[in-house]
Amino acid sequence: MDNINTTIIEQIRPHESGIKHVSGYAKYIDDIVEPKGTLHGAIGYSKRAHAIITKLDLKDVSKSEGVISVVTSKDIPGRNDVGAVYDGDPIFTKKVEYFGQPLFAVAATTTELARKAVLKAKITYKTLKPVVDVREALKKKLFVLKGKKIKRGNPIKKIKKSKNYIKGSFELGSQEHFYLEGQIAFVIPQEDNDFKVYSSTQHPSETQQIIAKMLNQKNNTIHVDVRRIGGGFGGKETQSFIFAAICTLLSKKTKRPIKLRMDRDDDILITGKRHNFYSDYEVGFNDKGIIEGVKIKLLSRCGISPDLSGAINGRALLHIDNAYYLSNIQVENYLCKTNTSSSTAFRGFGGNQGMMIIENIIDNVAKYLSKDSAEVRKLNFYQKNKKNITHYGMKIKDNVINEIFNKLIKSSDYKKRRLKIKKFNSKNKYLKKGIAITPVKFGISFTTTHLNQAGALVHIYYADGSVHVSTGAIEMGQGTYTKIAQLVSNELGLNFNKIKVSSTRTDKIPNTSASAASTTTDLNGAAAINAVNKIKKNLALFVKKKYKLNSDKAIYKNGMIKFKGKTFSFNSLVKEAYLNRISLSSSGFYSTPKIFFNNKTFKGRPFLYFCYGAAVSEVLIDTLTGENKILRTDILHDHGRAINPAIEKGQIEGGFVQGAGWLTIEEVKWKLNGELTTHSPSTYKIPAVNDMPEQLIVKNFRNLNKENVVNKSKTTGEPPLMLGMSVFFAIKDAISSTRNYQVIPNLNAPATPEAILLSINDIKKKYEK
Amino acid sequence: MTSNILKFIYKNKILEIKNPDTNETILNYVRTKLKKTGTKEGCAEGGCGACSVVIGELEENNIKYKAINSCISFLPSLEGKQLILVEDLINNGELHPVQKAMVNYHGSQCGFCTPGFVMSLFAMYKNYSSYKEEVIKDSIQGNLCRCTGYRPIVEAAKSLNKDKKRDFFAKDKKNTLKLLKKIKNRSIKIIDNNKKYFAPKFVNELNKILRSEPNSKLISGGTDVSLIVTKELKDLNSLIYLNSIDELNYIKENNKFIEVGASTPLIKFESFIKKYFPDFSEVLKRYGSVQIRNVCTIAGNIATASPIGDTLPLLLALDSQIIVKGQNKTQILPINGFFTNYRKTKLKKGQFIHSIRIPFLKQNIFKAYKISKRIDDDISSVCASFNIEINKDKIKKIKIAYGGMSNTPKRAFNCEKVLVNSNLSYKTISKAKKLLEKDFKPITDTRATQKYRMEVAKNLLEKCFLEVKQKKNIRING
Repeated sequence: MDNINTTIIEQIRPHESGIKHVSGYAKYIDDIVEPKGTLHGAIGYSKRAHAIITKLDLKDVSKSEGVISVVTSKDIPGRNDVGAVYDGDPIFTKKVEYFGQPLFAVAATTTELARKAVLKAKITYKTLKPVVDVREALKKKLFVLKGKKIKRGNPIKKIKKSKNYIKGSFELGSQEHFYLEGQIAFVIPQEDNDFKVYSSTQHPSETQQIIAKMLNQKNNTIHVDVRRIGGGFGGKETQSFIFAAICTLLSKKTKRPIKLRMDRDDDILITGKRHNFYSDYEVGFNDKGIIEGVKIKLLSRCGISPDLSGAINGRALLHIDNAYYLSNIQVENYLCKTNTSSSTAFRGFGGNQGMMIIENIIDNVAKYLSKDSAEVRKLNFYQKNKKNITHYGMKIKDNVINEIFNKLIKSSDYKKRRLKIKKFNSKNKYLKKGIAITPVKFGISFTTTHLNQAGALVHIYYADGSVHVSTGAIEMGQGTYTKIAQLVSNELGLNFNKIKVSSTRTDKIPNTSASAASTTTDLNGAAAINAVNKIKKNLALFVKKKYKLNSDKAIYKNGMIKFKGKTFSFNSLVKEAYLNRISLSSSGFYSTPKIFFNNKTFKGRPFLYFCYGAAVSEVLIDTLTGENKILRTDILHDHGRAINPAIEKGQIEGGFVQGAGWLTIEEVKWKLNGELTTHSPSTYKIPAVNDMPEQLIVKNFRNLNKENVVNKSKTTGEPPLMLGMSVFFAIKDAISSTRNYQVIPNLNAPATPEAILLSINDIKKKYEK
Repeated sequence: MTSNILKFIYKNKILEIKNPDTNETILNYVRTKLKKTGTKEGCAEGGCGACSVVIGELEENNIKYKAINSCISFLPSLEGKQLILVEDLINNGELHPVQKAMVNYHGSQCGFCTPGFVMSLFAMYKNYSSYKEEVIKDSIQGNLCRCTGYRPIVEAAKSLNKDKKRDFFAKDKKNTLKLLKKIKNRSIKIIDNNKKYFAPKFVNELNKILRSEPNSKLISGGTDVSLIVTKELKDLNSLIYLNSIDELNYIKENNKFIEVGASTPLIKFESFIKKYFPDFSEVLKRYGSVQIRNVCTIAGNIATASPIGDTLPLLLALDSQIIVKGQNKTQILPINGFFTNYRKTKLKKGQFIHSIRIPFLKQNIFKAYKISKRIDDDISSVCASFNIEINKDKIKKIKIAYGGMSNTPKRAFNCEKVLVNSNLSYKTISKAKKLLEKDFKPITDTRATQKYRMEVAKNLLEKCFLEVKQKKNIRING
């Protein structure tokens, strides 16, 4: 990459849609002009968590004002399921397995009338007892998939021999995605029974396949088109399918365009969320705090079906080490089936849960030994030349966690502040401060190896030299269109404004993987570059032949193409090439090299590289109420050589706040009967502006990706979420100060004010008798 | 009263709508009739701010700009006002300074919440001359963003301090004022099929309407009433909009009490009350977003009678009075006893809350606490309020009230009894704490458990007296 054009690459530039975002002209699906005759859908769903439908009387629904059509499972010609990998997610179910499960749908002249009609259904249920509690599911052996048991060394023996021992349990809550644009699909019937599907999805190709299977039609009859989505975070990786499917079914039946826009409450009730995790652990360690053996029982709430739970639990197992060398480890994983919506992908994808579990263990080890947890963490880190093989057998070659940690401890003034905090706490009885630093090591690549591929299509228009780029990447706010355009403009030495990245369409790019696993720009950017290189090759061969040059090497810069001995303006050369019948269009392809993984032995190299980072957070808690706030957070994060530093910074900050939200205020709750009670912004709280740290200092760790990733960058999608862990452990630190740091607080996530007060009272009860 | 015609200003023109649907939200109107799709629906309950639009209102020969949630505001509430949408901030193809700042500071990622933020910041831009962090955060606390973590948006807002603040709205101000004056002072009545809507301008009109339409629902901010349409999908067949009555939009004071008219927006009261009861103002800041406080009222909070209505325990502790009118009589009712059951009050059909009187207690110590999961725009698990007359460590008089502890907001009489005439000692406080168990039997719900509520209620009592003793606040927010 010697021709990196520093004005384009590594350049801070606004989001390609920034101007449209702020002026209201960025079109989301609900903003697309509706053709005449467009109808609007609504979904009728179960009001029981576990039941058999004995009667579904939809007569009054059909007769309701404005209703044109009603569909049930009987209207589905093909597969009545939207499960991506496994079955288990019926489009319209007969046997109810969770509160909110779709039963039927209507199309009416307006959304309001459709929603009103749905309420008129007369549904008779034979109610069964739901299993809502994960531990109850374990007891009853209700699983969606068989869980893995992984082992390295002989942890049980090591734990027995260790000088110190802790045993405990730890729980992590669920999280609602709360993308600001709710689930939506808009389907326009075409000739030949084809359908054009606009879906707010992270996964157009799977949408296409699921609809084709539902209709018993060929994949080439379904065209999915996604320009942008108003947030995804994993919540539109598979959870969008059911809406696209139902919308297409309604369109097929009515032969009219249908829009299906979900109400926020219904959206949250119907769709899956982050997996709750429960762990029981035993750990043996020496006096320094080095972990000698650890044994973990790991349960997750998977809801009613496998969905992506296999891969998510797999990623949890692959990240249960976070940045630590665990010589002797054993994990038993159980994928529990509960009568709740099917838990699904959410930024971090199980990795964050795995990391929290080991972080909690290590934090407790430090507290047990009355040591600074930063020191204990450091002692357990992977090293460069030894202690560098993970529990799944991958050698870590790009480890920079020690450097990041040390640098951040210094730049954040961690040690001095820690002393100051101790002083503050000794003087204040009711308000307590806490501080913690936590590391992040996150593996990049889909752990399902075959998904690590991407396609692209690049056209150069000879008339003006403008460039059109299509890839399989979904723009969901992470700025992938901007970054891909920057990569292409850099490769062609053109101004950014000559490159247009267009909507992501299954008829342009086939067989795409979901925009997920933080890999979107890595894969699709590389595919786009590959396409560009093929066109460049066409041009080079043409020039070499026509002008009888010795070399076909060229430098593309500032709108010029420079061959040894001959220079062209970009526009003139592409015009000349066109007139000489040279192709100016090419597809491109990329597949991640080096990776492999054996799921049976749980060994291999599942990741191309790792992202690293660390965060220090300082919090203040009120020991009388459990209220808390983040006073300051310092972040040092490795994003390699960024394509667009501003976008990376945005991902880091946004990820951190989302992670902190997961671990503090965001609480998903179900009633004992399985009804979700947190399904609107009034009952479910994502961070608002006053939840961000009073002081937020974000720096990037200067580094190059050792692997050949676009621009030697490292992705920032998911890894920054885990920086939020520092907030949780700072709170725990503050709680432990109520007993002069001589206690291991019992605190589960999310650390809501209630959980914090409970933890404090727990300590009081234990020691103040 | 004008019938069936609604007039408001849009893009410097008076827009007339004949026979508007009185149950249509401004959001729906804007998106489906005006075909302006920049304004987004995020939640349809006023909880996320994606639908924020700005309303220009005539206020003493000036225009007051207010961000509101268009998803819970009905179309006729636009009567006599100026409507500004995100698309309208562009002038001759050029972005507004607020929009430019949001682009340059990377304030948008997925972009869906962005129009709402832009509108909240636009209102801030127009209403303040400088933008301190506190003003910025207050202005956008009702806008949720799931992507950015807010830092770039706050930075964008801060950068506006460097702006000259002469946007084209300022240049057009004269003209806009002229138009606003042209359409002011209209009482409107819309009768469409079975649906009726009244927006009286005067109290005597309200009285008359209530006599002929005693089953009407009264609406101000609509945080509860609008959800009957947007969430329960039911029709509101007769609505009386109160915020059009200027006579009821007032705050007056004498040396005995403060009186607040029923249609006075919370945001106005919040800045007024700060000098007398700073804690009242603090609770109001967290009552809801600016979008909510711009249109919601204390009277609305009282009439809704929710057990977690945030002003209610405060008004109870302050021993406020409610002036009720209608049915040809005026009653002055103490707020204590006004709430008869879960969401029930002593208000009878045909009656309305005219104003609220809050006695002045210059010697007293007044404290209020709101406990919720999130700082901003959250419903409290427990809200507590204390009004104490103290003389050298001896409590002369005390009134304590709690929200979130019972099916109505309520005074803690047993607790009060043991405190009156006793000295501020650890023993007394312990006794008083214990008595809260006699006063309240809280429930467990999605916001908090019974146990937590009782524990926090007790601890807040302790905190209050700690603060009294130490003569300083012990709180995470300063």
